Order: sequence, then structure tokens, then C-alpha cells
Amino acid sequence: MPSDLYREELLDHYRDPQNYGVLPEADIDVRLNNATCGDTIHLTARLDDEGRIAKVMFEGQGCVVSMASASMLTEEVVGKRREEVLAMGLPDIETMLGGIRLSMGRVKCATLALRALQQGLKETEEA
Amino acid sequence: MSPWDVEAVRAEFPILERTVHGKPVVYLDSTASAQKPRVVIETLRKVYTDYYANVHRGIYTFAELSTEAYEGAREKVARFIHAPEAAEVVFTRNATEALNLVAYTWGEANIGAGDRIVVTEMEHHSNLVPWQQLAQRKGAELAFVPVTEGGELDLDALRSLLADGKAKVVAFTLMSNVLGTITPAAEIVRLAHEAGATTVLDGAQAVPHLPVDVQALDADFLAFSGHKMGSPGVGVLWGRRALLEAMPPFLYGGDMILHVEKYHSEWNEIPHKFEAGTPPIAETIALGAAVDFLTGLGMEAVHQHEQELVAYAMKRLLEVEGLHILGPSAEKRGGVVAFWMDAAHPHDIAALLDEEGVCVRAGHHCAEPLHARYGVPATARASFYVYNRPQDIDALVAALQRVNALLRR
Ligand SMILES: Cc1ncc(COP(=O)(O)O)c(C=O)c1O
Repeated sequence: MPSDLYREELLDHYRDPQNYGVLPEADIDVRLNNATCGDTIHLTARLDDEGRIAKVMFEGQGCVVSMASASMLTEEVVGKRREEVLAMGLPDIETMLGGIRLSMGRVKCATLALRALQQGLKETEEA
Repeated sequence: MSPWDVEAVRAEFPILERTVHGKPVVYLDSTASAQKPRVVIETLRKVYTDYYANVHRGIYTFAELSTEAYEGAREKVARFIHAPEAAEVVFTRNATEALNLVAYTWGEANIGAGDRIVVTEMEHHSNLVPWQQLAQRKGAELAFVPVTEGGELDLDALRSLLADGKAKVVAFTLMSNVLGTITPAAEIVRLAHEAGATTVLDGAQAVPHLPVDVQALDADFLAFSGHKMGSPGVGVLWGRRALLEAMPPFLYGGDMILHVEKYHSEWNEIPHKFEAGTPPIAETIALGAAVDFLTGLGMEAVHQHEQELVAYAMKRLLEVEGLHILGPSAEKRGGVVAFWMDAAHPHDIAALLDEEGVCVRAGHHCAEPLHARYGVPATARASFYVYNRPQDIDALVAALQRVNALLRR
């Protein structure tokens, strides 16, 4: 009996991630890693004229949780305003992943893509 | 030698009767911490119900019984590692604290600017970071004995690091907690001594799994942890009397003093000089019980059993497609196998194995520089102890096949 973490939906995103690759002429371009488990992500994104997320792409290596979460996030955030994305946190990721409760060891994996996107948004703000 | 009766050994470990997610537990993480035999659990209960009191202080019956049992554990540990005398055995919290004790006291007093501290690329962080920090404090040089592609120490490189006489200490593990490699300790000690360097042996993996004889090795210091050999959490530092006597204390307070005046104190004799404050009394007494348990099994037989398991494990693991093993061939290692898989991140391996009741560790196992040396950020690790059996490895391999089936893209 596969557990919630390895449900077909997440495995589909892991085996065949959405928006995988690097976006040309991106407004956001961030590389992040999880030192402890070695997960890496390269996240690129473009904003529309009103500052909403227009498109997100990612490349990386990691566990099912980090890769599926990144893949789902690239769909989840399209059309969202900057403040909305900056306000997102772990509960939003858990909901996005299908309402699962993540164990402590998996929180960093699951939020890697979100943290990369948020870091990128802050960098564009400062620029 | 009588054949190893693994079922009889298993019967001594109550936790192995448990199930996890409805499956019998297959415990393959003894390298991180070992399960406890009944006699250890029973000893803890007995201390608390029969005679518990603080040690070295009272003159009433409980205090005397407690002190006797506590000091008795010290004698058992001394015999176990073939120390010349029990007074050379210092109890600490764990191996990490024992290594820090050496770095902070012997190291502070003996390492100066321009001296070389030699460690190896396969060290656990606890036998690396204390030396790295000492080197920074003192302006000393930290140098690494490289690990070969096959997971062994490059002794020619060690010889060059020792050649100019600048090396003051060689700190190395007797057995890698990732590669499983058993290092040629007697030879390393001989080379170090010829060059005038002191040796600090990390026995955290070796002492629970192999016969270790500090006199045969001619070692200067040895550190290890009780919790990896079936005891509760207590650590041990063994050191030569002359070295321990010359070292300043580590922590100050009760028990470690002989005599205190308002502005002056004199230190107690070894080992008490290094045991400030009330120790974990029952836990240390239970370490003595764990030592008796292992002595009863025979350390040569323990090692033999684990060698058979690791040889079987390495053969079976290579049946799993896209699985790669770090480290040397089976006969050069203890019961540890770290591996990675093309199809799955170590976290997923460990999580999916858990669903089958199989406990393995995933990560860098407190050996980041070693993983960097092999260019892998993390591995999964299976390790074996007295209670493991070939069926456990079969369960591991079956679970890994399932990981492949689920995650292969
Ligand atoms: C080789 C080695 N050295 C040192 C340690 C540290 O032991 P402890 O955490 O008990 O201090 C370990 C534990 O994993 C180890 O495997």
C-alpha cells in the first residue's frame, strides 16, 4: 500500500514534470539547494505587465517530494500576484500536494521550489 | 567456534518483535544507533529499583552499591578494549564529546601555529570539526589523508604528510561509518609514532563491531559511544595515563576536584579529573552490561557474522538495477553498505523502505567531505549488527526492487 507521499498523482509529476526546463528572458532566475539532502533547483519565471506570475519553469534534482512539489507549483502560481506568492507557506504546499501532512524531514524538500520563487520575487523587488 | 545462532541473539532484543506499518521491523541502521538487549534494559530497571544513588559521595549502602557498579562498568570497558588500567577510561556523553575533550585539552596544550593536524577524508564530522576548529584557533595546518576511489586510505600520502615532522597529531577512524572500510590502524599508528605524532582513534564504529586492543594498536587515545553497542547513551575516552595526567581538565565543577579554596583549586586524579558533575549513573552501569553481552558473544564472532552478512548484502544489492555501492570489497569492510540508485533519491529510498518496515538511513551520514569526494550529495545506508540475518537483506532487496518499479522513469 503506497502511502500518501507516493500517490500516483505525485509520482506522475515526478516522472513527467510540468514546465521542466529553463525559461528564456526570465525576470526571475534562482538556484537553490538543500545542503542536507543535496536537492537542487534552478527556477526561472516571467512576470506580466501587472506583476503577476506569467510562467514558471524549473530544472533540478531531488526526491519525489521536492520534484513533484516544484512541478505542481509551476502550475499553481500562474496568475497570482507577487504578494500572494510571498504570503504562501507550508500549509499551502501541503494543500497543493493533496492535503497531506509532511513529516519534519520532508518540509525542506517540499518548500524548495516555493522558497526559490519567493527569493526571486524579492530580488526583482529590490532591483 | 560454534556457529552463530542468530535467532537466539534476536530473542534477546525485544524491539525486534515489533511491527512497523504492519510489517515485521527490519532494523538496518545500527551504525547510527544499535538496539538494546534485554540484559541492558533489565540492568537499568534493576539500578533504579534496587540501589540507585549518586556516586562517589555517600557512605550509605545505596551510594556504595551505585559507586561499585559504576566503577565496575569502568573495569569492564577497560578489559573490553584491553586497556592496561581502568583509571585510563573516562566516561563522556558520547564519542563526539570524547573527541572534543581531546581537541580542547590535549589539543589546546600541544598544538601551536604551524603545526600540522592530520585527519582523513573519511572522518565523521565529529572527528573532523573539533580539529578543524582547533587548527583555526591555533593557526595550525589541517591536512587530509585522501581516500582512494576504492574507499581506502592512501598511506603513501600519509607518509608524505608525516615526512617533515610538522605533524603533531593523526586523528583517524578505525572504521568508516559510510564506506565500511576497516583502516590499517596499527600501521597508521606506527607511521605516526615514527614521525613523533600522537594518535587519536575514532572507535565509534569499530569498538561495537570488531575486537579492539589499544595496547596491540599502540594507540594514544580512543573514543567511542555506548549507544552504538547496545548500551544507553554514554561515551568513552580511553587515553594513556601519562597523556591524561598531563592534560588540563575539560569541564570544571564537582567530582573533578581534589581540593577547592576560594581562589585556587587542585584537580582530582584521572579519570575523575575529566568527569565533572553527576554522570549518567544507571546508563553507565548498563554500558557494563552491554560489554558483558558482547563479550559473551565474542567480538571475533561478531565480526565474522557481520562479514558474512555484508558479503551477502553486496552480492544481492548488485542484483538491483541502477544501484551503485560506495567503498571497498566486502572483505575489507565491516557491516556497512552505502549506496545510491539512478532511479531514486536516497530520501525516497528510505521513505519507501519504511513502508515495508525496513529501516535504513538516508543523507550524508555526518560525512559531507567524503560524499563530496565521490561527487554524490547523499546516499542510502544499510548496516548490520549481531541481530541481523540474511532474510533482512532479502527484505531490503525486495523493497529496493519495489522502489525501482515505482520510480524508474
Ligand atoms: C565513525 C563515527 N565517529 C563518530 C561518531 C559520533 O558518535 P556520537 O554521535 O555517538 O558522538 C559516529 C556516529 O555516527 C561515527 O559513526
